[in-house]
Amino acid sequence: MEAIKVTVGLGSCGIAAGAGKVFDKIAALKKAEKLDFELKKTSCVGMCYREPLVEITDESGTYLYGEIDEDKAVELIDKHINQQSPIKDYVVHTDLFETIDNTFTDDQVKITLRNCGYMDPESIEEYEERNGYRAIKKIAGSGLSRLDIIQTVLDSGLRGRGGGGFPTGLKWKFANNNKADEKYIICNADEGDPGAFMDRSVLEGDPHSVIEGMIIGAYAIEATGGVIYCRAEYPLAIKRLEIAIVQARQKGYLGKNILGIQGFNFDVYIKEGAGAFVCGEETALIASVEGQRGMPRKRPPFPAASGLWKKPTNINNVETFANIPWIITNGAKAYSDYGTAKSKGTKVFALAGKIKRSGLVEVPMGMSIRDVIFKLGGGIQNDKKFKAVQMGGPSGGCIPEHLADIPIDYDSVNSTGAIMGSGGMVVMDETTCMIDVAKFFLDFTQKESCGKCTFCRIGTKRMLEILTRITEGEGKEGDIEMLEDLSYKIRESSLCGLGQTAPNPVLTTIKYFRDEYEAHINDKKCPAKVCKPLLTYEVIADKCTGCTVCAKNCPTDAIDGARKEIHFIRQEDCIQCGSCFTKCKFDAIKVY
Amino acid sequence: MSDTLNIILNGKIVQGIQGETVLELAQRHGIDIPTLCHDPRIDPYSSCYVCVVEIEGYRGLPSSCSTIIVEGMKITTENDRVQQARKTALDLLVSNHYADCAAPCKQTCPAGVDVQGYISYIEKGMYHEAVGLIKETNPLPAVCGRVCVRPCEVACRRNLLDEGAPVGIDYLKRFASDIDLDSPNKWKPEIKPSTGKKVAVIGAGPGGVSCGFFMQKEGHQVDIFEAAPKPGGWLRYGIPEYRLPNDILQKEVDNITELGVNIFYNKKLGENVSFKELKKKYDAVILTIGSQKGTLIGCEGDDAENVFSGIDFLKEMEMSGKRYNFKGKKVAVIGGGNTAMDCCRTSMRCGADIVYIIYRRTEKEMPANPIEIHESKLEGVEYLLLTNPTRVNKDKDGKVKSVTCLKMKLGEPDASGRRRPIPIEGSEFDLDVDYILAAIGQKTNVNFLEDINTNLNGNGELKLNRWGDIDANPKTLQTGIPSVFAAGDGVTGPATLIEAIGQAKVASRSCHQFLMGDPVAPAKEEFLSKRDNFKKQDQEDYVGLYKKQMREEMPTLDPKKRSNFKEVELGYDSEEVAKHETQRCLECGCTEYFTCDLKKHSTDYNAEQGKYTGEFKEYEVDFRHPFIEIDNNKCILCSRCVRICRDVVGANALGLVNRGFETYVAPSMGDKLQDTNCESCGLCISTCPTGAITENFPFKPGPVKLEPAETICNYCSIGCTINLNHKNGFVMSTTGKDGMINKDGNLCRFPKFGYNYLNDTTRITKPLLKINGRFEEITFEKAFKLITDQIKEVKPDDNVFFAGARLTNEEMYLIQKLARGGAKTNNVTSFHYLNRGDGYISNSSANVPFDQLKEASKIYLIGSEINMDNAVAGFMVNNAQKKFKVPVDLITIHKNSPMKHKANKVMKVKSYYHFIKAVNYYLVANEFENGLFIKDNCEGYEKYKKKLLKENFVDLVEKSGVQFMDQVIEFAKEFNNEMNAVIIYSEKEICAQASFEMKNLAMVTGKLSKTANGLISLKEKNNSQGLFDMGICPKVGVGSQAIQSKELQQKMKEKWGVKSLPKTVNESQFDSLEKGILKNIFIFGEDPLGCAQNKVKVAGWLSIAEFVVVQDYFMTDTAKQADLILPASFPTEMGGSFTNTQKVIQEFGEVLDSKIEKNSIEQIIGLLSKFKLNGPESVQDVMMEAFALLTAKEQKEKLQFNYTDYKSCHRLFDYGCDVIIKRFEEHFEKSLKK
Repeated sequence: MEAIKVTVGLGSCGIAAGAGKVFDKIAALKKAEKLDFELKKTSCVGMCYREPLVEITDESGTYLYGEIDEDKAVELIDKHINQQSPIKDYVVHTDLFETIDNTFTDDQVKITLRNCGYMDPESIEEYEERNGYRAIKKIAGSGLSRLDIIQTVLDSGLRGRGGGGFPTGLKWKFANNNKADEKYIICNADEGDPGAFMDRSVLEGDPHSVIEGMIIGAYAIEATGGVIYCRAEYPLAIKRLEIAIVQARQKGYLGKNILGIQGFNFDVYIKEGAGAFVCGEETALIASVEGQRGMPRKRPPFPAASGLWKKPTNINNVETFANIPWIITNGAKAYSDYGTAKSKGTKVFALAGKIKRSGLVEVPMGMSIRDVIFKLGGGIQNDKKFKAVQMGGPSGGCIPEHLADIPIDYDSVNSTGAIMGSGGMVVMDETTCMIDVAKFFLDFTQKESCGKCTFCRIGTKRMLEILTRITEGEGKEGDIEMLEDLSYKIRESSLCGLGQTAPNPVLTTIKYFRDEYEAHINDKKCPAKVCKPLLTYEVIADKCTGCTVCAKNCPTDAIDGARKEIHFIRQEDCIQCGSCFTKCKFDAIKVY
Repeated sequence: MSDTLNIILNGKIVQGIQGETVLELAQRHGIDIPTLCHDPRIDPYSSCYVCVVEIEGYRGLPSSCSTIIVEGMKITTENDRVQQARKTALDLLVSNHYADCAAPCKQTCPAGVDVQGYISYIEKGMYHEAVGLIKETNPLPAVCGRVCVRPCEVACRRNLLDEGAPVGIDYLKRFASDIDLDSPNKWKPEIKPSTGKKVAVIGAGPGGVSCGFFMQKEGHQVDIFEAAPKPGGWLRYGIPEYRLPNDILQKEVDNITELGVNIFYNKKLGENVSFKELKKKYDAVILTIGSQKGTLIGCEGDDAENVFSGIDFLKEMEMSGKRYNFKGKKVAVIGGGNTAMDCCRTSMRCGADIVYIIYRRTEKEMPANPIEIHESKLEGVEYLLLTNPTRVNKDKDGKVKSVTCLKMKLGEPDASGRRRPIPIEGSEFDLDVDYILAAIGQKTNVNFLEDINTNLNGNGELKLNRWGDIDANPKTLQTGIPSVFAAGDGVTGPATLIEAIGQAKVASRSCHQFLMGDPVAPAKEEFLSKRDNFKKQDQEDYVGLYKKQMREEMPTLDPKKRSNFKEVELGYDSEEVAKHETQRCLECGCTEYFTCDLKKHSTDYNAEQGKYTGEFKEYEVDFRHPFIEIDNNKCILCSRCVRICRDVVGANALGLVNRGFETYVAPSMGDKLQDTNCESCGLCISTCPTGAITENFPFKPGPVKLEPAETICNYCSIGCTINLNHKNGFVMSTTGKDGMINKDGNLCRFPKFGYNYLNDTTRITKPLLKINGRFEEITFEKAFKLITDQIKEVKPDDNVFFAGARLTNEEMYLIQKLARGGAKTNNVTSFHYLNRGDGYISNSSANVPFDQLKEASKIYLIGSEINMDNAVAGFMVNNAQKKFKVPVDLITIHKNSPMKHKANKVMKVKSYYHFIKAVNYYLVANEFENGLFIKDNCEGYEKYKKKLLKENFVDLVEKSGVQFMDQVIEFAKEFNNEMNAVIIYSEKEICAQASFEMKNLAMVTGKLSKTANGLISLKEKNNSQGLFDMGICPKVGVGSQAIQSKELQQKMKEKWGVKSLPKTVNESQFDSLEKGILKNIFIFGEDPLGCAQNKVKVAGWLSIAEFVVVQDYFMTDTAKQADLILPASFPTEMGGSFTNTQKVIQEFGEVLDSKIEKNSIEQIIGLLSKFKLNGPESVQDVMMEAFALLTAKEQKEKLQFNYTDYKSCHRLFDYGCDVIIKRFEEHFEKSLKK
């Protein structure tokens, strides 16, 4: 009989939800009661909304338990292990019967995330068992030439998953064409979009696939050194990468004459970034690696010609590299079978916002936005009305509900004014104010601007000030036009992607929700009832019971009324804090 | 690939050069693209986005500074889209530029007088320049300095400091103007050539005479027609003499008529002058008719006898020359303006018993100058405030008996912002008076309207506005008749003197445009950044930032002595007082006013500071460095300073802090700049496109417009071309100029911050003879005679001549000529090289040109703190290192060499000499020498080798102070293997023997005299090399020819017209000095006593000598010991040439006026003539004569190996340095350490 396996998800999301304690609890039980099962660690499987997750595999099959705390863990061990009776109510996913979350994985295709949540990320052996390092072995064994590899990547149709969508094979080809004594390959792990955590999950869950991807890339372009530029805010990812690098060195995947390929010397080191968003831009990233202030510079020359230390350099992001071994192992066609005409393969998305199931999903290109949100994501929280989805982070834009049926591919998404970006999807419902959203993202880019270019440094600041003014009821006629004018100019005259795309959230919200802007400016009203200075609170006379709760909770004593009499809000003293609204038990407060 | 590309630039096909940027291409084709972040000295950066252009097929609007051209590129440098983008970039930049371009005083002045500028001149005692600057916009400074209402002083930011009083702007103006007015050298404007056009000006009031001044300057003939018998208008007839004496007014008007302006008196338009006549004779007319009619009270009984309008009262006295006699009378003056003040104070002077001021508001609302109110009270005027006359009561003869008044209270503010007076019911009272003077306003009297309009034949019409004043375009002051312009009170209604002048300026400008056939249009509005655009300035922004200093008040006549019309304000007592008051100026306007690129582009593109409002950053100005100040309020974050410091200087002393909108520039780690690697070179200042990094001036720079005087820097031996930017000889800044050596115009700290000696007023300008221990001025003639007599009195070789390394080649040549031809001695040398040891590389011909540094495979700095002593060469090394990847190794004896952080490798030694010698030993002993090179080019190798190998290698290594012997061996091997090795050393740092060993090293390895291979010896002074070339050496003459060479002797005799020349001196000058056998010592341009390491020794030499003559700029330590001092000229005052360390001779001109009657060259020529030597008359002839002495033969001598013995190996310069370097170092180091 095969031993029962108990696996605890210990990604950052799991640990944050308390999975560490759950793991310790189970380990303690196992030791104390001398239980016979194998206790294992893995990383995030994507169902962040159900963390902590515990998976139990026994003879009958695999059961994924969700929202397991220490008490439930005790119960689980007792019932499932000792009594061999699974607790059906706690199961969130299994192939054995219908569960509430089975549909979460139904339409997913896991290539990038093929190992995430299915193995111990700190074990190179497990990676190898799951076909790891087979691609590089294939290269070493078959004598696949550099050009063959590049051609395979080209044929796969893989495009840069960092957001730019530039064909990866082409990038490698350029880097390969530029001959030099030293060349570098860099993995951009400076994931910075608010709400995006695809790269973190991959690094935490499957670091070796990234390293293997880099080794293949290094071989293809003849790189002599590799750097993983990872933000310091990802300590677990860095730790697991460090472990993985050491293991890879020990096994001869890194070092001199790798796998017996004469002259193929390559190693990787981690450079921790200090958390400047702009360092995700490749020229700024290079400057940062060199120890300079992380500021972008004009391209050309592109890094493929003059990059790190002015040597030819190829930069890809985490997700891109993680795809590479799979493509080499399974062939270009297997990959390009997924996707649309111009966007091949799969894409990982981080679902966040007003969505029921927030977490990581990987879907083939071409699935509609609506399907991702409703089929995988389970729809909108509290069944409110779906309003829009922000794609591409602060550089992206808001796609309104009426465009939700477009397929997810680079070109379709771009046509809406948003961008694919690295895969962040922030879902908004009817209670989201679109000006507030634009303000949120602009506030982010404005603060993250490196300060180099006039338009980005001061222009985004001025735009933010206008947006702030609008949300505070100080909007003026001409503000929308000024925002548009500044947006176009910032786009046209900024050096790097950060500035060039910073106005996108504003432009798309103006494009699709202009009426909301006008309501704020002309009527001094926030239709989503988010912008406090624009709200009016009033007592609905019919519903008021005169219970005095609202008056007691009012911080400015703006509510008059004796017990059992209809209350009245003095508008001149009201600070729109909303406490009357939330405290009233009789829905007797109206907001408009 | 071909080197040229075809580009379509603004629709035209042009040739581009492979690799150049769009900006460079455009500039080459004469197309101006504005940029702020680009400096050709550093790599393109692209941050300001002002240089954007449109390129077909390119995304957005690319920045031209960093876009490289490609074949077929289609570029449009200017169209609507581009202009809009540039404007927006500038709008955004200025929306966070919390700074003032111009000071509030200037901005407030209706005539736009540059107050800060003239205060700067007054600070320096440059009164004529101050007046010249004022007269650019105001031709009546002495008048204005007395009676102006001074809006400037109201706006003055000094008001916001503790003492609460503005700078005495008007007092200062008066001070400078009064000096100028009475000076024989008074300032005169330049009059442009005659245009042949004639202009008639109606009225010789302030507006009229100002028009006369402005128009005559432009080359037009101005005739002024004045109704009164004398000029000045209300200045004469309205303002009493105790405020403005008539003679002052007359002198200022005379200054204008002296320019050619005619004034015809007793001519009144419409009466005895007709417009028809004017139209016939003149091309244009400017009406400056003033507001002539006084207004009466306008209440019942104001027709009573003895009720006048105030101005009629004042005018009557001026016209008749008779004063009213108010003895025993009571006078009431109605009104609260300056005319009321004039009336009441005049009434007191006419003997009135009581004078009342009746004014319906409070004193606070009175429009009169506070000082006038103050003085009137001192003089005894009584104030009836909140009082309004309602009726004049007559006696039976119809004379005024009393006035009935009503008390008032203040209500709400009216349109003018003043609180409206409201009568208090039942508060009536009667005031007994004998006279009532109504000073409540004036009206314009236009009685010639018909005369004009009927003579026009329908070509326009002169109209009046609804106030009865002349209707003119407010921006151009052109009237309805194109050829007629108007200015002053006649247009504005009664206003101030300075407004009339401001209007005259506008009308004159328009009239000039009209006369020249140009469209009449207002001047383009200049962009001015203003702090007030961001927030109201208040006390907390200023208090504590400046030193408190009380205002120098104007001395006035004792109030008891004022029963007359003598001027009450007496003027500042002394220059010291005026200068002290100038120190109160806060210099609110930016020092880069004339040079700021941000301002220029903002003006060109009509940028608006208020277009985008929002948060702005406020920073404290960083004044911590004594010479460099950083004002982040003005910074536009182009990073030019950061980049030039990193990439050109290599100091990396500046950095950017924070990100996004919060970014600012600061010295690294927030330290004081002087605590970073900052080299104080000032390149950051040179590159800043605005006023964010500026020089921390030790004086008030104005800013004023400066003239560049191009010359060669006289500090070190690199030979940089510089501009001394000066006003009439007062140098206020130095900037780099693209020169033969410093091709990119870079400069170092010496010229940048070391120019103040040029302005030093303690300079010696006359010959000084010591009599009884004190110096007395004597004539040049007497000085020459004394010198000649002294020389003749002693044996020739009892004379010795020293010439400093700072002198021009011409001076040096003449000094050795005086020694050899005049005094007949070869005792001619320089303290600079005195007791220098056995020998040294005097001939720099083997020097590698700086240009070749970038081709070197490695640069060795041996004994060279190149970034401090010869920083511009340091920049070139840095450039080779940074741009061309040439490694730089530093071999130094200093623990904390300032070059340490820049070198790729640092080796610490204790003795350069032993180190190099050990290297040579190793190479020679192991037979690594380059035999072929030595055979072909050198002499003496075998002898050298034999001697060298007798030494002990281990001993040499030990003495060299390196830690391990391997270091020497490794160095030797590496050096030998370098393809192109360049050694750079400073003569200041190393000893003579070491310099020989370096030469030996270069010969052993076969690296001398080859491209990008060999030695660069950096000499200490600007003309150290000239000392050899010009024969300041006992044994060699001009061109380093042996002095005993027959050919040279023959030529000298011929050229100089002498029969004999002196024999060689055998004793070294050092020994002679030590023995005390020299009787006459002549020292030109050196301060050995001030600079020598052993001052006691030098003092001893000088005290033994019988007669010591010193020629220098200042009273140096050496000069103090002299018997006779000659004043020395600055190189810029006579012109000449210097030879730099690489033997490049660079000439420069006489660019600044000499402050000495006979310049240095003329002085030596004068002395030579005493010895009846033939020779040059002027500086230009000197070099011709020197060249004529050179040998025609091409001398190709072989390179000599020199074996050297170790003696005490001290550095080269024990005695030689000039006072300028000494002053700089003392001042600089002291300031930095503070």
